[in-house]
Amino acid sequence: MSAEPRRNRVTAGDRVRRLLGIVPWIAAREGPTISEICERFELTRTQLLDDLDVVFMVGLYPFTPDELIDVIIEEDRVFIRLADFFARPLRLTPDQALALVAAGASLAPGGAADADSPLARGLAKVAAVLGIDQEAALAVHLGEARPEVLALLHTAVAERRQVELNYYSYGRDTQTRRLVDPHQVYADGGQWYLDATCHTAVGERLFRLDRIEQAVLTDQHFAGRAGPARGANLAPGAKGGTGSGAGGGVYHPSPADPRVVLDLAPAAAWLTEHYPCEAVEVLEPSGPEAMSRLRVTLAVSAQPWLERLLVRLGPDATVVRADAPLDVDVGRRAAARILARYGHGEPVA
Amino acid sequence: MSATKVERLLNLSAALLAAERPLSAAEIRQRVPGYPDELGSFRRAFERDKDDLRQMGIPLRLTSMQAEGQVTEGYRIPPEEYALRDPGLEADELAALHFAVHAVRLEGISSAEALQTLAGERFAGVEPLETGEQLARVPADGRLMTLFAALVDRHPVRLVYNDTARVVEPHRLDYERGRWYLSGFDRERAQNRSFRVERIQQDVVVQLAETFQAPSQPHPGVALRSWQLGRAEAVWAEVAVDADQAASARRHLGEEAVAGVDATGRTRFRVEVRNREAFRGLVLTFLDHAEVLSPPELRADVVAWLEALARS
Repeated sequence: MSAEPRRNRVTAGDRVRRLLGIVPWIAAREGPTISEICERFELTRTQLLDDLDVVFMVGLYPFTPDELIDVIIEEDRVFIRLADFFARPLRLTPDQALALVAAGASLAPGGAADADSPLARGLAKVAAVLGIDQEAALAVHLGEARPEVLALLHTAVAERRQVELNYYSYGRDTQTRRLVDPHQVYADGGQWYLDATCHTAVGERLFRLDRIEQAVLTDQHFAGRAGPARGANLAPGAKGGTGSGAGGGVYHPSPADPRVVLDLAPAAAWLTEHYPCEAVEVLEPSGPEAMSRLRVTLAVSAQPWLERLLVRLGPDATVVRADAPLDVDVGRRAAARILARYGHGEPVA
Repeated sequence: MSATKVERLLNLSAALLAAERPLSAAEIRQRVPGYPDELGSFRRAFERDKDDLRQMGIPLRLTSMQAEGQVTEGYRIPPEEYALRDPGLEADELAALHFAVHAVRLEGISSAEALQTLAGERFAGVEPLETGEQLARVPADGRLMTLFAALVDRHPVRLVYNDTARVVEPHRLDYERGRWYLSGFDRERAQNRSFRVERIQQDVVVQLAETFQAPSQPHPGVALRSWQLGRAEAVWAEVAVDADQAASARRHLGEEAVAGVDATGRTRFRVEVRNREAFRGLVLTFLDHAEVLSPPELRADVVAWLEALARS
């Protein structure tokens, strides 16, 4: 989703909103000091005085003195009178309410077991103020992860304890056992990730939590890693869920990895939206009625990943070229192997 | 940004809050200083101001009214809707929400401010729970906020999706697999529908003059299991998955789909299928670790597909 660029500039709306909070706050008090107000609303003295300057001119038609808000600044104390229409603070803005409800909902996934947690109770009260049934109106699913795995990893990160993982490597289609130093757990792009130093594969790895079959907390402590956590800044595009995810987690192609070149029928063009293609070329239609085919180049982390892709694409994809150790028959052999399971044809070595 | 605009918005808010009856645009023009004199310029400025007020969360209400013998639109801000109601958050609830808004950030929104507003005086006493670490980032854009505001206030929205203009009663927002979805009642089609928010073309226009009735039954939300999304009649398929892949299949298909586990850990699943292609893609993801057991036509479909590939 293309998020709007964060607004650093303070708009008129931002200032109005701020003032609708400041005015009732001051009006309800007996002359708070400027520094008290600045601290409460996180403003500099200049910002506050600029804002109050505007309030002098606000009131009701016909703007006779008795219809204007009265602002008095006296020896560093501020008094506001005659602001009955702004006597109470403005309700939450839609974006504030959304951020609050979404953040709460994402960490309190609902269900009776959870209903009594402070977060669930707080969320229910906020929803009541907004007049919505939160569970019916909004759900945030940050990613697939078993709650016990998530909880265990949080503990491990906080206490700097090593974890043994049974990890399903999707790309290689194998289960592996690994010992890792967990640094951070985070969700991005609909997936939960563990950023860890892997002692088995020796290196920094990102693991997807939905592929952790089992996690065991050990009593071995580890020293902190130098440098910032990789997930902390949650760089855009860091989602690896659709990559060819091999080895120790999320796949980042290396120049040494084999490449495969595929020709795709129009029915298989979706591939370019879901997988990182290194080159996409539109081929000339073969006849006047024909639709264009695409020629794409992909980096391959491991053979099972390519097999999955090819059996799903079936006749809609043709392997044009494949670097060793892959070859153009990878898909055909995988199909034959699956067919053998159905009792069709002979298993192929 | 000009002080005059801030001033005008404050005066407009004050006028509409203090008004005992709805005010027409003409009355607003007369009572609120700072608008351009020329009628067309006034109208444009007033339109922008109305948008600004809404974005700030100020509940601007429209009603039909008589003015100078004509039916026209009247504007008002009902004070009881404008003002914040104190939710009465306890210290532990406030701390938990505080942690949540720091840990899960919606892009481009500072939500700590929201809590500060809600908590009032008590906010100063909140002991933040390890707020240093951000757990998750959730994308958001202006349309999402507009949709949420419309959902809260039960206004229908006008939007363009798949090149078609629609009027939708927004019932529910879901964030699933990294994307936001709107579910609601599509009036023209007289059906519940779900829309991917990022695929909504252009802006979402809130129909402020209208409100809809809350749905009698909660909307189930978006269904993302692609093999269940189709126009074909549902067929129940049985799939066997080998032990080493069973856990991943359970997460994919849901615990409710498990039909049995044999001594080796091989697990049978019962899956409702409305889309054959998607179902085939699902089964083939498991390579030779899974097999369609029934019905015969779906089994034959997978076999025929693989044979076409093996012979190609």
